[in-house]
Amino acid sequence: MSADQRVYVIDDDEAVRDSMGMLLESADIDYSCFASADEFLDDHDETRRGCLVLDIRMPGMTGLELQKSLGATGSTLPIIFLTGHGDVPMAVEAMRQGAFDFLRKPVNENNFIERIQLALDQESGDWRQKTDREQLCERVASLTGREREVFKMVAEGIANKVIASELGISERTVEVHRAQVMKKLGARTLAQLVRIHIESE
Amino acid sequence: MAQNTQTQMENQSSNGDFYRLETLLQNLPGMAYRCLNLKHWPMDFVSDGCFDLCGYQRHEIESQQVLWGDFTHPEDVDFVDRTVHAAADKGEPFEVEYRIIAKNGQEKWVWERGRVVDYRDDGIAILEGFINDITDRKLAESALIRAEAYAQAIVESAVDAVITVDDQGSIESFNQAASAMFGYRADEVRGLHCRRLLAPEYFREFDRFFQRRRDPAAIAVQSIELGGSDKHGREFPIVLSMREVRDVDEKKFVLLIRDLTEQRRAEKEVREQRDVLAHVDRLNTLGEMAAGIAHEINQPLTAISMYAQSSIRFLNKSEPQLNRLQDALQKLSQQAHRAGAVIERMQEMTRPHQSHQEVIDANRMLREIHQLGEVEAQIRNFIIVLRLDDNLPAVLCDAIQVQQVILNLLRNGMESMRADGCSPGSKIVLQAQVDNGRLRISIIDSGQGISRKLAKQLYQPFMSTKESGMGLGLSISRSIIAAHGGQLEFMNNKVAGTTFHFSLEVSS
Repeated sequence: MSADQRVYVIDDDEAVRDSMGMLLESADIDYSCFASADEFLDDHDETRRGCLVLDIRMPGMTGLELQKSLGATGSTLPIIFLTGHGDVPMAVEAMRQGAFDFLRKPVNENNFIERIQLALDQESGDWRQKTDREQLCERVASLTGREREVFKMVAEGIANKVIASELGISERTVEVHRAQVMKKLGARTLAQLVRIHIESE
Repeated sequence: MAQNTQTQMENQSSNGDFYRLETLLQNLPGMAYRCLNLKHWPMDFVSDGCFDLCGYQRHEIESQQVLWGDFTHPEDVDFVDRTVHAAADKGEPFEVEYRIIAKNGQEKWVWERGRVVDYRDDGIAILEGFINDITDRKLAESALIRAEAYAQAIVESAVDAVITVDDQGSIESFNQAASAMFGYRADEVRGLHCRRLLAPEYFREFDRFFQRRRDPAAIAVQSIELGGSDKHGREFPIVLSMREVRDVDEKKFVLLIRDLTEQRRAEKEVREQRDVLAHVDRLNTLGEMAAGIAHEINQPLTAISMYAQSSIRFLNKSEPQLNRLQDALQKLSQQAHRAGAVIERMQEMTRPHQSHQEVIDANRMLREIHQLGEVEAQIRNFIIVLRLDDNLPAVLCDAIQVQQVILNLLRNGMESMRADGCSPGSKIVLQAQVDNGRLRISIIDSGQGISRKLAKQLYQPFMSTKESGMGLGLSISRSIIAAHGGQLEFMNNKVAGTTFHFSLEVSS
């Protein structure tokens, strides 16, 4: 678990909320509790890290609605749903919408902690990936217009000679641009350059 | 013979007194006479009143063209004859009432009083007397007799015991129903104190009631429920009312007693049936609420389980966190009680229940049922708004059954709101306020309202708009409220939905 990750517990039942908090505390996991989806959304921003534990059945905005709303903002926070007796159809819907998991109340605590850890790990990986991609995009953005043209054509496997004639420049100039692109993007081989191109799109 | 009489009478009254007497007689109603005590009483003197009395002129009678016995009603003539002869033989005056038939055929009642004043030489008695028309009086009398007979027949055929007592409470009359009810013949109880008809533990209560006979206004309207006791000591419930018999010299009272055994049995049967149906309805209701109830119990169980696991983890740490442990265990215990309370409330509702009314804290009763209603509201994602006055009075009711009614109405309201497509978080109101000395409880939904067509069959048993509904809820609810002396009523709201309301008796 990374230091800035925490578990966001959203449940309208005070006792369930409180006991879940205590369990997370006993497992040395940071957490915050909210009594409703609205309360959670009130000071939500995209810098939040960690995962959500969400009661599927709540007055006001339901768990499923919160999931949709977060999905629409591009949030990748994993959501573990807590369901009661007879909520299976809703749980299936939640999974279809990309929930991380769902657990029946009363939950098996060890399983619960384990799932939380997995969700946090996944979010960690996602975050790293996301961060990498963001850095990559920044680097691509630092290319000049001509360099970007050369980058794109090289990555598509077009020969230097062809590129030179297409762009109306000398083959030598193409080679200089290509070396500059490799340097700026931190790629050492053509294969790396190709992967960067794919990821950046 | 007529000639002889004539002579004699003239002899006797040969002075002027006779004429003065005759003037006097002319002004009297009725007819004075003198006759012989012979068959059909030949008259040798009648006063002028004869014409009014029988329609014949004086001379027709005095000349004996017609005889008095000719006008006498054929059915009465023998009886008059016997009475007059018997009195004449003893030399006593006689008095007799009989019918005559006047010249125009009209039947009249007459009263006659007379006596022997002398004897003729041959020993035949000479009678003098007076005859008056009493037809009006007789008609009134026979009307009275008919009325009395009629009243008597009513009393005797009454289903209720009708007993008259004197001012001391001694029995004077006892009708057939009273005999059937108490097993005594009328002649057995006459003169006994009417307390004899009661079970001893009711004596004092009856005495207090009987004391009130001094105040006619009070007894006219009052009745009292007591325990009766028959000749064989069998006790049974009765209701007794008392009235004074007016217009008689001594004070008399009529006691009307009804045997309540049958009524009580029927009431009990109705009550038992209602209890059974109410129980079925509660089971049905809670069955339909199973999902919500499972949720309601699952919540504390979830919390309990997590507090317990937290406790273990606090204990297993390299440095056990005992301060956290105490907190965890305390909260765990609270949640166990919470789950227990839910189950207890369910049990209360599902237990077969003999209805009994008691003094109940209205606020508490309504908060309890609000919690149970919340179970249903959460599942449907609606909100029950509880509007109570802080100082609601205590009410007299059967809390379980009244809660059942409220739960039924809340569920119906929410069902109507769901069918109407009310958005999540829509409100249904449970409200209580004091109105006209009673506690008025209203359930105000914002659903579809009730159409005129539905209103007509609303309270019919087994009528339901719900697919899974048994259709007992409203008819049971209405009968429960009726047993509380109230009425379950509804009206459509101006904006949306329906308000159901009823009232309960406030405990003094």
